[in-house]
Amino acid sequence: MNLLWDIRYYLFYPSFFVTIIFPGLIFTTIILLLTIWFERKAAARVQMRIGPLYVSRRVGGILQLVADAVRLVFSEIIIPNGVNPTLYVIAPIIPLIFSFLPMAVIPFSSIPPQGSIFSVYSKAFYDQEIDQGVLVGYFIQYNLIVALAILAVIPIFILLQAWSTNNRFAILASVREALLSVSYDVLIVISVVAIAIEYHTLDIAKVVESGIPGIVANPLAALVFLVGMLMGTGRFPFDIVEADSELVVGPATEYSGFLFILAMGGGYIATFAYSFIFSDLFLGGWLPLSGLPGALITSIKAIIVLWFAVFLRGVYGRYRLDQALRGSWKYLLPVAFASLILGLVVGEVWIK
Amino acid sequence: MTNPLKQAGGFEVEIVPIRGELNVGPQHPGSGHMRIYVKLNGDIIEDVDLDVGYVHRAVEKLSEVRTYMQLIPLVERPAILDSIHMNLGYIIAVEKILGVDVPERAQYLRTLAAEVNRIASHLYGVGILAIFLGHSTGFMWGFGDREVWVEILQALTGARVTNSYIIPGGVRRDLTPAIKEMIEKAIAYQRRKLKDWYKIFVRNPNIRSRLENVGVMSKENAIKWGAVGPNLRASGVYYDVRKIEPYAAYDKVDFEIPVYKEGDAYARLLVRFEEVEQSMRILEHVIKQIPEGSILSDRFFKQIPPTRLKKWWEGQKKVVFPGYYASFRPPKGEAVSRVEAARGELVYYVVSDGSPKPYRLRVITPSYRMIYVFKQLAKGARYADLVAIYGSLDYFPPEADR
Repeated sequence: MNLLWDIRYYLFYPSFFVTIIFPGLIFTTIILLLTIWFERKAAARVQMRIGPLYVSRRVGGILQLVADAVRLVFSEIIIPNGVNPTLYVIAPIIPLIFSFLPMAVIPFSSIPPQGSIFSVYSKAFYDQEIDQGVLVGYFIQYNLIVALAILAVIPIFILLQAWSTNNRFAILASVREALLSVSYDVLIVISVVAIAIEYHTLDIAKVVESGIPGIVANPLAALVFLVGMLMGTGRFPFDIVEADSELVVGPATEYSGFLFILAMGGGYIATFAYSFIFSDLFLGGWLPLSGLPGALITSIKAIIVLWFAVFLRGVYGRYRLDQALRGSWKYLLPVAFASLILGLVVGEVWIK
Repeated sequence: MTNPLKQAGGFEVEIVPIRGELNVGPQHPGSGHMRIYVKLNGDIIEDVDLDVGYVHRAVEKLSEVRTYMQLIPLVERPAILDSIHMNLGYIIAVEKILGVDVPERAQYLRTLAAEVNRIASHLYGVGILAIFLGHSTGFMWGFGDREVWVEILQALTGARVTNSYIIPGGVRRDLTPAIKEMIEKAIAYQRRKLKDWYKIFVRNPNIRSRLENVGVMSKENAIKWGAVGPNLRASGVYYDVRKIEPYAAYDKVDFEIPVYKEGDAYARLLVRFEEVEQSMRILEHVIKQIPEGSILSDRFFKQIPPTRLKKWWEGQKKVVFPGYYASFRPPKGEAVSRVEAARGELVYYVVSDGSPKPYRLRVITPSYRMIYVFKQLAKGARYADLVAIYGSLDYFPPEADR
């Protein structure tokens, strides 16, 4: 009895459960496979095709991704001459880690004092701003800033990746990434600051628990954040860094086998992390539920955002680098400032 | 001279020109079958060298050791998706040497096949442009819609590409009511689909911003650089061999030549889409006006043995080759033919010395004349525009290499 209780206690301990099982590592991997499957299937529907079907015909080719992954895992990892092998191998791994790390600090749900499976941990993960526990891997009061700060580090490692592969296409792509990251980070930070001012907090849990979704309170910030997120994670129409007809696969040009999976998976996981932040800040997060069902609601909202982001592949081509920069500095930056002012006004008038 | 900033104790700002070369291709998703040697300064292209010849197949040299009939499948190979035109131009030149009259119905059938091929080729080109811009829907639609027209070619000629449909003195197979119906259905489908094309691709703000004011070719430059076909017409030059020097049945059908003044990549895209519409108009005219009669010149038709004629011509409306074709010796002479292929003017020059093989065959393909245009247009463009210019010119390396 005691043993079972201990196992249950440690299994559902949020720092383990949230980061490893749901909605952390295992769940994210499954969602990643499902997302790529959805991306292919949705694009195929738009494009008068059927999409992957050969592998596991009964379930609509959903296992094609597993087959692809297995094939890539068992293919040879080629390390080019003249690169530093250590840097070459760790360069795609670090961006992946940093795309995944925000999952540890983003609140996925609240913990009610009684009735939930997580209620025993409500003291350990107590958030005084909302006066109850928060389901999160590691609780920090300024989790909004921490999550964005971790995501903002990724471009540096993309640069490292391109530099360590010593490929001209990769280096051109990394220059594009550097130029882009300057513009989308500004957009994301300003829109998030607008939300922070509006809700008088840097705690994502309090934004959610205020009961007003950010998309109602500040639609401009939601728009700016969404575009910044598309730009930051290289989704269409801002697939500028990995432009395959121009730069082969961008920074991942030299990678093969399992390292290629790692290099390409980072972008999707970063999109998922951004989608979680978007669903918490702008779509009401886990409301109207809490506890484990609340985390499920948050995940569903995040998956909708993620799938919307990947669906754009069927609609848009890609912008040129200078067009994306001009668009973000000339048109979206004023909108971002407007969202800041809107946040000031609404925060003063409506949200206490 | 010392730097004034340094003298004042400030930071020294060193501006380094970022020059470098890129080997785009031949193993590159955006290069096609050639190497584009790009000299970059930052994001701006200073110069490009088109290293063509990667898929050179020596068609011109090989043609000196093949008989005239064996050459029909060979000359189609450089541009397999435009094979009717490659075939037609060669046959017109050979017919000029032979002095053959082509029956009216065969002329109409040549026009029909050529226009079906033109639509298929334009859709292919637009699809390639779309994937170069990252627009995968346009790519799949281009190849999907092309399938409709390729199926018609298959029903008419027996092959999807490399049809070898046109033979000296006529064509190989006749038009049947079933194919007529197929073409009518295809036209209705394509008209419906073109509306969707305009919604998702042509008027997509993303695509417009990628193509407008990119690779601008003025009227003067277009003439000076020797541009042909839709690219020339997008620069405001009214020139189309079908109108200037009508061959086949183009003088009997009613159609217009779309011309744009802008000369940018977007105008080239629009010209292609409007030519698809005009080609469908021609197809409608052809189906309506096509006269009854033979599809092969009497001179050859009489040589077909009656038993084979009964089986193939009366049974299946197919022409079997008369014995004359086996290795005919045309009289001495030379001939030049011009046809408007999908990508532009296609010129054949054939010299006969009275033997069963041509003494010399020269092909000037439209893509060959696009090489210089491409090189000139890419100068000063951004690196990302290289593929936009490439795609909008509909440059096809195997056709240029021959």
